[in-house]
Amino acid sequence: MPALPLDEAGKYVAGAYVVFLVLIVVYVAIMAAKVQRIERELRELAAFAEARAVSDQAAPGRESEEPSISDSLAPHGSRGGGV
Amino acid sequence: MTSFGPGLRALSIATVAALAVSLSLVFFYAPLDADQGFIQKIFYLHVPLSIVALVGFVLGGVFAVLHLRSDEARWDAHSYVSIHISVIFGVAVLITGSIWAKASWGHWWVWDEPTLVSFLIVFLMYATYYPFRYAIEDRTRQARYASVFAIVAGAFVPLNFLAVRMAQTLVHPRVFATADGGLPGSMMLTFLVSLLAVGLLWVTLVRFELTAKSASGQLKRLRRALDAPARGDAPRIAPEVS
Repeated sequence: MPALPLDEAGKYVAGAYVVFLVLIVVYVAIMAAKVQRIERELRELAAFAEARAVSDQAAPGRESEEPSISDSLAPHGSRGGGV
Repeated sequence: MTSFGPGLRALSIATVAALAVSLSLVFFYAPLDADQGFIQKIFYLHVPLSIVALVGFVLGGVFAVLHLRSDEARWDAHSYVSIHISVIFGVAVLITGSIWAKASWGHWWVWDEPTLVSFLIVFLMYATYYPFRYAIEDRTRQARYASVFAIVAGAFVPLNFLAVRMAQTLVHPRVFATADGGLPGSMMLTFLVSLLAVGLLWVTLVRFELTAKSASGQLKRLRRALDAPARGDAPRIAPEVS
């Protein structure tokens, strides 16, 4: 086939580069959401650890009566990320 | 709060810079192809993507060998992430190739063209990696079987490439080391910079994904360790993947 004129070929070239860009942007957006979830869980863990340290100081030797971290994070639990 | 892998920020900046230089060369430096005209600009995206994707599949196999030899989870993670990013690149290869085929040949897909069909076979083979891997619940067996898959599939990639190169009925353009002389210097320079940029992008995305997985794994271990005194388990914090 003969070479397409510039105005015709431009649509295809733009389409190819836009597809590539969209794929990368979608991937980065998914990764950003994943990193935000990790940050949120880390904040919750830090808050839990601080709360437990305060309660340990107030009443030493009563660890077994405290809520577990799994219970306190249950609604926001990780969907898993490790391989 | 999130700690990125060492050097990831510099790598990301280098990747963006390389992509910017590559696009500038493609559209403002490389001459128009005498035969294909402007549509040939897709070549600078499509071919580097396909080369990097195929090399990534092979690297996934190499990391799988390291995993089976050492039994270290980090090599399994490297293998998984290499294949994962290469599959994403493979999607881009198939779509950009189809766009070029439509513009150049008048068809989105040509079934009697060995290069297209062979890449599709490789892509579909790696698409089965995910259901295969996650069909196994036990983590150790999952990693081991996935590594065996990655090695076999990784060995298939260069064999497949050689088989296609030896095929007689070639319609796909051959521009490297051909009897007609191959690419002129300015086009070759643009292509090599594009290849470098896409390669850097692959490395950056792999490192990014590995860092996120490492952080996620360590978070789980931290949660278990914090939970341990309440449940009477011994706390133990160790990195899941590096």
